[in-house]
Amino acid sequence: MTSISAPETRVGSRTRFWRNILTAYGFLLPTLSFKLLFTFWPIAFGIFLAFTQSNIIETKVIGTQNFRELFGTQEFSARGPSPYFFEGMLNSLKYLLCVPVIQFLSIGLAMLVNRQIPAIGLFRTAYYVPVVTSLAVVGFMWKGMYDQHGPLNYVLTVFGLMDAKNPSSLLNNSSYALYAVMLMTVWKGLGYYMVLYLAGLQSIDRTLEEASVMDGANRWQVFWNITLPGLRPTLLVCGLLSTISAIKVFEEIYVLTGGSSGTYTVMYFVYAKAFQDFRFGFAAAAGLVVAFVSLIFGLINFRLTRGNQA
Amino acid sequence: MIETRDSNAAALETIRLMKQKRERNKLITNIFIYALLIAIALVFIYPFLWTVSTSFETTGGIFEFPPNLIPKSPSFRNYVDVFALVPVARQILNSALICFIGVSGSVLLATLGAYPLAKMNFPGRDLVFYIILATLVLPNEAGMIVNYVTSAKLGWLKSDVGKYVAVIAPALANVAGLFLMRQAYLSVPLELLEAARMDGASELTIWRKVMLPLTLPTLSAFAILQFVAFWNTFLWPSIVLQGDRNLLPLSAGMLDLSSQFSTNTRATSAGAVIMILPILIVFLFFQRYFMRGLEGAVKG
Repeated sequence: MTSISAPETRVGSRTRFWRNILTAYGFLLPTLSFKLLFTFWPIAFGIFLAFTQSNIIETKVIGTQNFRELFGTQEFSARGPSPYFFEGMLNSLKYLLCVPVIQFLSIGLAMLVNRQIPAIGLFRTAYYVPVVTSLAVVGFMWKGMYDQHGPLNYVLTVFGLMDAKNPSSLLNNSSYALYAVMLMTVWKGLGYYMVLYLAGLQSIDRTLEEASVMDGANRWQVFWNITLPGLRPTLLVCGLLSTISAIKVFEEIYVLTGGSSGTYTVMYFVYAKAFQDFRFGFAAAAGLVVAFVSLIFGLINFRLTRGNQA
Repeated sequence: MIETRDSNAAALETIRLMKQKRERNKLITNIFIYALLIAIALVFIYPFLWTVSTSFETTGGIFEFPPNLIPKSPSFRNYVDVFALVPVARQILNSALICFIGVSGSVLLATLGAYPLAKMNFPGRDLVFYIILATLVLPNEAGMIVNYVTSAKLGWLKSDVGKYVAVIAPALANVAGLFLMRQAYLSVPLELLEAARMDGASELTIWRKVMLPLTLPTLSAFAILQFVAFWNTFLWPSIVLQGDRNLLPLSAGMLDLSSQFSTNTRATSAGAVIMILPILIVFLFFQRYFMRGLEGAVKG
């Protein structure tokens, strides 16, 4: 009996095994094929494009010429490195200033709203509204805020920082425009990071804080020794997210200044080369350099926030 | 005897005073906290108030020193104007269409794909999971360029329908959604699935009749997140649709409006209000889902 039935079950289980695999991958097929076409293919083809001269119609492999043009070596040494590329890279690196500012302010904001008092939900909502607003609208609103006669200039004149008779927009001032855009980025992003830190705060064991207060720790000691270590995983994620988006900043610039007044960033360069000059190969090469730089900064960020623990 | 009673009374009095003081301190702290909360809220809300106010203002300068938020002669004229300047009604429909297809498509993909990752044992499962996870960190700066080339090569940029496919398709497979749904599926008891399998239900039936109904809150959270994302995105649509005003969604139309009619701030602010309103309504109604989705996406 057993000798006869055993092979049968094996055959049965084998077909079931294959059917199982088929079902599983069937469920995954739509996601995987879309990922393949719109995520993995762009990475692979983007690297290939970087070594070509390409517009929509034709693609010609030209080796490292795009990179030589970017960095101004060999046949391009007379012209020097691509000026806008390096100006843009410098501005993108300056944009990293947003990262500590956003983290610092959003942790503070999260601690402020992390209390059970009436109407606190209302405030959390108010702080979050900019996050769900399209940058297309946010850019328009902030152009209004920064207008020559706009509310921000009014505040500046009240503090005597701006000539009330002849005010000028910060967005036209090449020494401040980039920081003006950064302020908008901070304003739009704070609510997002606040919610993440709020979740982080609420996952910290409250009894730990209470116990250390009982033992006579002051507020600062509690924050430094209990709260901040508890937030470390959140800090890692948030730091990484904001670092990468700072280096890749483009849309904020696009909607607010159009890259004028010294706000040209390196991703603006990539966009302009691709969709204004239609030099897809050259743009892809610049994009590859940006990818490399953001990878490095991602790793640095990882080491900085992980460092003490490891 | 008298002395002890006196000292008792004195002690009680001190306790009462201390209590009073503590309550007063608490009150002062709370007043301070509310003042701070309101001040910060003003910073976040002011640009919105300005936009709404400007959209109803019809006379005087747009900017005044000091700023004034109450329109002197409020009317809907700017709203009438903006509908005359650009095809706003058409663009609202375009946005609705893109959101409808985009949200249903990405919810379908995420709910399907997460099922085997959470509830099936098959070779390569972990590999697939990590490969998808890797897409979150892999730098993809040339992504938009290659997607444009792909769309052109596939012939999508030749027709209006094709252009819409090109607008929506790249955003359909959403990794955060996949993780959210996987997390939700993991909490569905295995006994339920076993029982359904015993009854001879196919995996597709189990997915539809057991998994989806039980994870509806997470599914809704993800759908709302995607609605906001599809409604707000403007760069890729404006690249693909190349400024064809009748095809643009409202977000890209808004950008077009504020750059082409930059002198007409009033009409533009009316457009901005129209653009924000649906998001605000959805956000206020489904706030709880929203926060859950956001937190889940990071934890997952």
